[in-house]
Amino acid sequence: MTDVAEPDPEEGGPAVEDGDGDDAYLAQVMVEIDEEVRRKRAELPARVERELDALFLEHSPMAGRGGDLGDALRLVETSAFIDPVVPVASKRPAGALIKKSLRTANLWYVGWVAHQVSQFAAAVSRSLRLVDNRLVELQRQLDAVAVPAAPVVDAGVAGAWWTEPAIDALAGSTGRVLHAACGDGWLVVALADKGVDAYGVDPRPGAVDGADLSATDLREEDPGEHLHAVASAALGGIVLSGVVDGMTAGQRQQLLERAADRLAPEGVLVVHSVSPAVWHADSAPAEVDLAPGRPVRPQAWTLLLPGWNVEVVPGPNAQDYLVVARR
Amino acid sequence: MTAVHQFVPALIPRDATGSHTLLLRQALRAAGWRSEVFAEATHDELVGESRYYEDYASVAAPGDTLLYQFSTSSAVADFLLERPEPLVLDYHNVTRPELTEAWDRGPARRSAEALRQLAALAPRAALGLADSAFNEADLRAAGCRRTAVVPVLVDLDRLTAPPDPRVVARLRGGKEEGGADWLFVGRVVPSKAQHDLVKALWAYRHLYDPSARLHLVGSTPSRRYLAALRQFAEDLGLEGAVRVAGEVSDAALAGYFAASDVYVSTSRHEGFGIPLLEAMHAGIPVVALASSAVPATVGHAGLLVDDPSPARLAAAVHRVLTDAALRARLAEAGRRKVADHGLEHSGRRAVAAIAGVAGERSDPCG
Repeated sequence: MTDVAEPDPEEGGPAVEDGDGDDAYLAQVMVEIDEEVRRKRAELPARVERELDALFLEHSPMAGRGGDLGDALRLVETSAFIDPVVPVASKRPAGALIKKSLRTANLWYVGWVAHQVSQFAAAVSRSLRLVDNRLVELQRQLDAVAVPAAPVVDAGVAGAWWTEPAIDALAGSTGRVLHAACGDGWLVVALADKGVDAYGVDPRPGAVDGADLSATDLREEDPGEHLHAVASAALGGIVLSGVVDGMTAGQRQQLLERAADRLAPEGVLVVHSVSPAVWHADSAPAEVDLAPGRPVRPQAWTLLLPGWNVEVVPGPNAQDYLVVARR
Repeated sequence: MTAVHQFVPALIPRDATGSHTLLLRQALRAAGWRSEVFAEATHDELVGESRYYEDYASVAAPGDTLLYQFSTSSAVADFLLERPEPLVLDYHNVTRPELTEAWDRGPARRSAEALRQLAALAPRAALGLADSAFNEADLRAAGCRRTAVVPVLVDLDRLTAPPDPRVVARLRGGKEEGGADWLFVGRVVPSKAQHDLVKALWAYRHLYDPSARLHLVGSTPSRRYLAALRQFAEDLGLEGAVRVAGEVSDAALAGYFAASDVYVSTSRHEGFGIPLLEAMHAGIPVVALASSAVPATVGHAGLLVDDPSPARLAAAVHRVLTDAALRARLAEAGRRKVADHGLEHSGRRAVAAIAGVAGERSDPCG
């Protein structure tokens, strides 16, 4: 049971807040602050913020930078030896002599304890080294059978038919909207023009290089890894285009679950996908042959997003379609 | 029932748990209970205010209720685990080990041990008290079956004492050269993320106010984090603009609150966040990262940002410092928050919750 202690009636309790009014007022202030951030992006691009993060990490301990097990083991091994011969230097006259006498008198005892502690630490570090070697071997075997990352195929271009319905679905978003894969940021710019605080990520090397990074927040990053780092319920909308088509069922499920968690309760998920037949055509790019998975038909999305209100907008010539999902 | 005795790992002046303990003792005694404080360690300034915790065994009496101020690992927890008296856990939160272990393994180990002790004590407690819903969730997750949220007892009057004139003069002297003064009060440790404040200050100086300064008030238990923070500030050319004041007296703290323009927090982990309340009491606007218990503590009395982006924090600070109407509205909401935490009122609520376990006193000897 939960007892929420009630205010003392003799004191009249806490003053009543104008909750709804304050909520609306502060929400509007935050919207205006977000607009100010966008206006200032030319002076302080998102790239500079990332440079600030990287600069601080240079001063962080190894573990804070996600160092690997090998680095950690080297630290353990270098600190595994306990030296019983304590320093005897002293600033005081005769201090060093006194310390040395004490050390000599106690060395038989301290040395015995230190030897056992060192033995224990060495045994632990040897065990960890064996575990590390075994993990490296397992990793090597896993790499041989690993499912490759899905390629980004047909992520869209400015003027694509689905731009307008996607923007309509996201126009009222109160939180940030993520576009993956964003390419040169064409959709991010279009969303920003409508007042949406949008940014993009794209895993393809050099995909965002052609964009004006001082004006738009675009990052060369894997969408799955990016979403992993985003807090729960932090985003107002997510657009996935060209991202899920080549994924295996497991990869797709994991990405969609992560996206659902990162969206605010009122958030909107927009997915652009091609029809499976398009990938079987001779005109399909070579990447589709190497992709671990295949696109799904529009009707599969109600099964992929159970409990969501899923709307499918078919594209011209049944070549592709847009999924707009809300909870 | 005759007495409600408190146990605390360490009784320390100007410490949130220490102050709460002494104020709660005062409230319990005012309500007619006998109440003493038993501690594992007591600061020199408070000698005479507590007894060694093991001494309780010699004065234990039938009908006693024991209340443990839980904030860190301590031998007191293991002692209480063996006691037969009804136990109330007053939980002040434990910083998660993962927030500190990369920097300082000692505190991380102590946090892990504290969480182990919490898991052992919580199912045994007749009542768990928390000063925020965030802390209450921890108690319930640890196995506390009955919980209540009651305000932390905080003596805001310590800030109405005359501020240290040297601090005020130094801050006002700095203002002659222009620039806003940012303030954050809290231990300089990784979980408080002062490095994000440094980033935000850099962005604010870059975008709006090249003379702005940041004052970090609070103890510096992590030498490693402090060194990294100083080096980072130096890398950014902020060595004169980021000032680490360390732990200060009440008068000096009052001086910082009196002469600062904005209170900014990027802390990742606050069980309640008393300095946020102190900033409201001092009437300075609050801009804070919406993490842990911070949104509940700040309510409508400050601007809450969802992520620690330097540009967003800088824009929020700029907005609050240039919008008088916003400042007035936040200040009004802050006054309401502070009124909710009036000492007498909060003390009575805490005592009422404890009385539900301790029952009616039979020996109101005061």
